Amino acid sequence: MDPLLPPETAEAERAFPQALAACRDLDALLRLKGAYVGREGSHVARLMDQLKAAPKEQKRDLGAAINALKNTWEEALKARQAELEEARKAAKTLAWDRTLPPPQPARGALHPLNRLMGRLVDVFRPLGFHVEEGPEVETEEHNFDGLNIPADHPARGSADTFYLAAHPGQLLRTHTSPVQVRTLKRLAPHIHEAGGIRFLAPGRVYRKDEIDPTHSPMFHQVEGMLVGHGIGMQHLKGTLEYALRALFGPATEIRLRPSYFPFVEPGCEVDVSCPLCAAKGCRVCKGSGWVEILGAGLIHPNVLDFAGIDANEWSGWAFGMGVERMAMMLSQTPDLRLFFENDQRFLTAMGGLD
Amino acid sequence: MWIERAALAAELPAAASLATRALAERLASLGFPVDAIEARPGTEALDVDITANRGDAMSHRGLARDLAARLRAPLATLAPPPAPEGPAKVAVHLADPGCPLYATALLTLGPGETPEPIQAFLSALGATPKKLPAVDASNELLHRYGHPTHAFDADRIRGAVTVRRAVGGEKLVTLDGVTRTLTAEDLVIADEDGPIALAGVMGGDGTKVTEATRRVLLESAWFEPRTVRASAHRHGLHTDASQRFGRGADPAMAPVARDLLVQRLQAWAGATLEGAWTAGALPAPAAPVPLTEALLARIAGEPLPLAEAAEALMALGCGVTAGASCLTVQPPTWRHDLTIPEDLAEEVLRLRGYDRLPSILPPLEGPPQPLAPDYLHRQALARRLAHLGFHQTVTYGFVSPEMDAAYPGPLGSDAYDDQAERTLANPLGQEYSILRRSLVPSLVEVAKRNLQQGQREVRLFEIAPTYRGLPEGLEDTWTVALLWAGERWDGDPESKAALVQAKHLHGVLKDVCLPGTERHVRCFADDTMLVAELPLRHFRRPDDRIIPAYTPHSRFPAVERDLSLVVDRNLPWQAMAEGVRAALKDTALVELTCADLYQGKGLEPGTKAWLLRLTFQALDRTLVGAEVDGWVAAALAAAQSLGATLRA
Repeated sequence: MDPLLPPETAEAERAFPQALAACRDLDALLRLKGAYVGREGSHVARLMDQLKAAPKEQKRDLGAAINALKNTWEEALKARQAELEEARKAAKTLAWDRTLPPPQPARGALHPLNRLMGRLVDVFRPLGFHVEEGPEVETEEHNFDGLNIPADHPARGSADTFYLAAHPGQLLRTHTSPVQVRTLKRLAPHIHEAGGIRFLAPGRVYRKDEIDPTHSPMFHQVEGMLVGHGIGMQHLKGTLEYALRALFGPATEIRLRPSYFPFVEPGCEVDVSCPLCAAKGCRVCKGSGWVEILGAGLIHPNVLDFAGIDANEWSGWAFGMGVERMAMMLSQTPDLRLFFENDQRFLTAMGGLD
Repeated sequence: MWIERAALAAELPAAASLATRALAERLASLGFPVDAIEARPGTEALDVDITANRGDAMSHRGLARDLAARLRAPLATLAPPPAPEGPAKVAVHLADPGCPLYATALLTLGPGETPEPIQAFLSALGATPKKLPAVDASNELLHRYGHPTHAFDADRIRGAVTVRRAVGGEKLVTLDGVTRTLTAEDLVIADEDGPIALAGVMGGDGTKVTEATRRVLLESAWFEPRTVRASAHRHGLHTDASQRFGRGADPAMAPVARDLLVQRLQAWAGATLEGAWTAGALPAPAAPVPLTEALLARIAGEPLPLAEAAEALMALGCGVTAGASCLTVQPPTWRHDLTIPEDLAEEVLRLRGYDRLPSILPPLEGPPQPLAPDYLHRQALARRLAHLGFHQTVTYGFVSPEMDAAYPGPLGSDAYDDQAERTLANPLGQEYSILRRSLVPSLVEVAKRNLQQGQREVRLFEIAPTYRGLPEGLEDTWTVALLWAGERWDGDPESKAALVQAKHLHGVLKDVCLPGTERHVRCFADDTMLVAELPLRHFRRPDDRIIPAYTPHSRFPAVERDLSLVVDRNLPWQAMAEGVRAALKDTALVELTCADLYQGKGLEPGTKAWLLRLTFQALDRTLVGAEVDGWVAAALAAAQSLGATLRA
């Protein structure tokens, strides 16, 4: 304490640390600041008045003493202010209303059709199936000729199939089966090293159907194909039994019924025991306990021949299923158009995240 | 196709005792699923699905045949008294191989009408009895036995009857009253004045049987399936007759159906047979088909005795010659679908029941293939975007010309593209006529609909091919489009909802794309929608390595220094970041960020303030103040060379 300073200042200086510590909030700190270093009426302001009235020879030393004291106080006040501000910030973050729901990270969704196709791929992966894809704009050769579909088959007509105006021989594929043709042709030269062929072909296909609750000019299929030595109906049944149980649950039964598709022989339709009512009979299975789920069969020798695979040595099976149909059946979605409307509420509820 | 319960039992007495449900199940197990069972007065009708290869099954007799083979029960005999054949009363010339066989008869009708039970039978099948015996009898035979026949008014036919190809441009008014212009591919039945029927499809109006008809000339022929299918397709005339001839009728039934028709007209209308005769002959039988024990065992999944196979095939009407390990099988005249050994194996298994097939997993003969990187890339990207809050859409691959013009596509407006190449010849309508070059217009439509539905925030993405019309054809590009519109709000009552800004979509692109994609973000629809569209190849791929190569990280303390700079408002961050990084190339700089941006009061107009935050950390030591000071000075110098000044 500088002897030049008056005794009341000494008292103020002695009380300062305690007063500072006693400031519990910024308002109190501001009041203390006003009392010590404010422009008017503060300790410093009074000292400055005394400085003016002091004898000339004392002015210099007194001024230095006042300044030192003022700096000390200001720095301490500043430090305390920072402390209090920090505390207030911390208090603010803690003071949320715990009865309110917390903020959520954004949630998007995969499209239900893509999710279902992804699931099918997952189911077939352990059996060594990979994914093959092909273009949506196809040739008649791949879409029809290579699949043993006769030249005068009605599906080839412009009433059923979309054709390109500038390229009359090009069309929008009407099924994922042209992927079979392309893949068989590509893999045929390596079939011995590879020990056969097995793949899934998920994708979009097009047919000239008017848009209504059960028809769409674009929809999705998943095609499966296997070529090996001595492949017969037992392998088709075994694989589908495994896959459909993986999809619908271990208690699922399957049923093969004879049917006809030009690119398989023998051909069949495959039913599963209704996954919605455990085969007790409901609206979806029309009381029968069975739901038709896909078409399949042993690959027609003409299809293997077309691809350059010796049908005397190799044989195989193929299946194709409609993804929308399966999605509608599983979810009981009443209208196919909902899948292409893409309402976020629908997508979130039906697709969700993996 | 509708089947009436009692008429089926008339062909197969054993079916009479089966419950309708059981009958339907038997049919389904044979490959004829029953879509519906409906009550009819005094009976029931079954709607049976017949596949395209089984024209022979499109009748009560046809289904009864398969059921009889399955039930090992006898069919009712079908042996009408043959109409005594004599010389032709009207010359019939078969001038085209499309009709090898034509049985006919000429009758004078007496009084009488279609019996009630026959009318009821036709009604039960959804057909309308015409109450003209010649017409109703022909119709009844078609449904009962599957062979289409026709009766002409003989007095309205002029001269000889010829089966020939039409002369292009010839006209025929068919029974439905429509004038058909024929082509040289159409097979017709003609008299001296011109066509009187489109062969196997529909008769002509000018020669049809009416109440005034006194004499009828019958037609019970066999037409080549391909020809009939083509005519039916060309004229859009898919009739009961064309469906049966088109899938392959039984040529041996032609004279039998003629005899049955004669028998009915005699019984119902007191008709007098003036004469019956046949032109042409049965087409040559199909070649026999071998079935080896090995093939049968392969397809069946277990060895089956050839004797059992032979029995099944004979039950279906095949002629079978048994060898040591092979059967030689002559398919019956009605089974045009049995042409290869696999067809025969299917028949054996079908009669045996597919439920008896064993079930085993196919052995793995080679190594499984990995999933294609492209496929994995799209799957991973879709999941990432979904986790970032975006909703995956699936929209149609074709759009209207207007929508197509609205956005240039992922390759930008400089890329060559000819819309004509992407145009469909036969679209569902204008609005679905162009294969799209961009996914954005479709996403914008979806977004607008979602906003109209009251969604505050819309985040969408689609991964699909887009097309570009090149002179040599279409080029497809896997494309990803993102759309973000509306207000961002995380549901926190303490934070405010705010309109989405371009920087938010930039941030997402920075997360999922390779560097340098900011220019792809565009505002759409009065700046309220943000879109970005890029080819899939611009998106980060999952790493090829399972675990990337090890990069060491420092265990020594990091030093953080801030530089508060005022720079020209137009200075891009990238220039500053590159300049500073270049100046500190060989230093311990590990991170450079802009920690704060200030624009506004207190700054010179045309400037902005950046707070550069530099983080230094060495791998091998604790940094000392002096060296960091030197680096910060170097950073400042680099910044100053870009016109920056230290902020006061």
